[in-house]
Amino acid sequence: MSAAQPLEAPKNSGLTNLLESIGGSALAIFEVVGGMTVLFARILSRLVRFQFDLPEFKRSLYKMAVKSLPIVFVVALFTGAIVVIQAAPLVKRISGAESLLGWGAGFGVLREIGPLLTALTISGRVGANNTAELGTMVVTEQIDALRALAIDPISFLIVPRFLGIIITLFAMVLYADALALVGAAYTGQGFLGVTPRTFYDGLTTLLHFSDVANGLIKSIVFGLMIALSSCHFGLATKGGAPGVGRAVNAMVVAAAAGIFIVDFLVSFVMG
Amino acid sequence: MSDQAENPRIADQGIIHAEVYDLGAQALSLIDAGRGLYSLFVRTLYYTFRGRREKGAVAKEMFEIGNRSLFFLCVTMGCIGMIMVYQSGLQTQRIVPDFSLLGPTYLELLVRDFAASIGALMLSTRVGAGIAAEIGSMVVTEQVDALRMSAADPVDYLIVPKFLASLLMTTVLIVIAGTIAFITGFATASVFFDVSADAYFSMKLIDAGDVITGATKCVAYGAAIPIVSGYCGLSTHGGSEGVGWATTRAVVNCSLAIIILNFFISGAALIIFQP
Repeated sequence: MSAAQPLEAPKNSGLTNLLESIGGSALAIFEVVGGMTVLFARILSRLVRFQFDLPEFKRSLYKMAVKSLPIVFVVALFTGAIVVIQAAPLVKRISGAESLLGWGAGFGVLREIGPLLTALTISGRVGANNTAELGTMVVTEQIDALRALAIDPISFLIVPRFLGIIITLFAMVLYADALALVGAAYTGQGFLGVTPRTFYDGLTTLLHFSDVANGLIKSIVFGLMIALSSCHFGLATKGGAPGVGRAVNAMVVAAAAGIFIVDFLVSFVMG
Repeated sequence: MSDQAENPRIADQGIIHAEVYDLGAQALSLIDAGRGLYSLFVRTLYYTFRGRREKGAVAKEMFEIGNRSLFFLCVTMGCIGMIMVYQSGLQTQRIVPDFSLLGPTYLELLVRDFAASIGALMLSTRVGAGIAAEIGSMVVTEQVDALRMSAADPVDYLIVPKFLASLLMTTVLIVIAGTIAFITGFATASVFFDVSADAYFSMKLIDAGDVITGATKCVAYGAAIPIVSGYCGLSTHGGSEGVGWATTRAVVNCSLAIIILNFFISGAALIIFQP
């Protein structure tokens, strides 16, 4: 009975096909979200009992955080510079806005652009790499080998990487915020003649700790998003070597979409 | 070759030697990558005008790059439109409680920078990763070598259609996604800050300079994404794991290329169009 139905599918009209593809994508999205939730619950259950491999955690932190410093450095400096370049016409239009440049750039960088761009960079560099690594392990049956040796793959492989990505992103956002502000200050001097001193005055008098905290909380949420999608897609890899490529691609897309959606929600919740 | 033979000896001579050696090696590989990118770009341009093209190849790539990225790009840009307007609304609220310039200023920023740059960053994650994975797995399974053996330059056969398709589709996608970001921004502005449609939908701050800057960025990013990710794909080595690495490098390098291009184009535009 049920076997006969798929044979009739090609005869369907355009509308049915459309509905079918919409339903299919919706199911696929739910599958990903559900898989990530289950994975998160599993990770939490190991985390509360401190069941994870400490050496692996340290290795992941080195590989993820220390090795990402150069790219975060470049991206942050240029980002800060771009923010000031984009603000320049506004500053020129309104007289006396020089003293507000530090505040404006700081507001944008600390609350929004710093965490967002760092998260996208880390998701591309660390998240995708992690997915590729886990995916290769799944495809070459190394995860099954771990299970056969009675080693829990979640506490041995996943929790260290999960924690590693979250801590990496948090630390990198701290660096990126500082570097972007330095880049912004000196670009302001170069293009607009605003001295770095005026810039920092505007920055410190008009911004509050809540603005910095806002960005840092975002970075933790983004880290959670990247870590979960990277581990989920890595573990869900199937179909040999091409499957690893597909998993990496799917992870990058899911993490980017997830970061934006979460960013939107967090921005509104925290105001 | 002799470098590699000397490497252990240098490492023995202490940490400073090792560091200097590392730094030099990194600089050399950076120069190598720059030269490889440049040569790939020149060859792509050459074959764009002189090559023979397979019928329908560009259209197929346009579908792959354009249509299949549309939904993803619209969702992300829709979200960022709402966030941007919300954040800049909050920012305005702290100095002047006057929102009449919120829409025009946002539109100006969108046209000049955000639509192109954020859209291209998103595209580089989807399109760049896809191109690098596709070409990388062709390299690993020696299909690219097979192409060379049949006297078909892989640049002509693989990169040029993607290059042309990306050049056009990036611009189209960014215009669509930018429009969506502007409209979702209006939703936020009217719900949270009571901005009227008349005040929001105003083009009074847009001038020719903004449009030229935005268009230049679209074209530059559209060219950069396939070249950078194609280069990463073609330089894949080391089996299936190598494909994963190539994909990662493609996404990172595309984003880096976009940010650096953005810096130079924005700087040039500021100097040219601002008296």
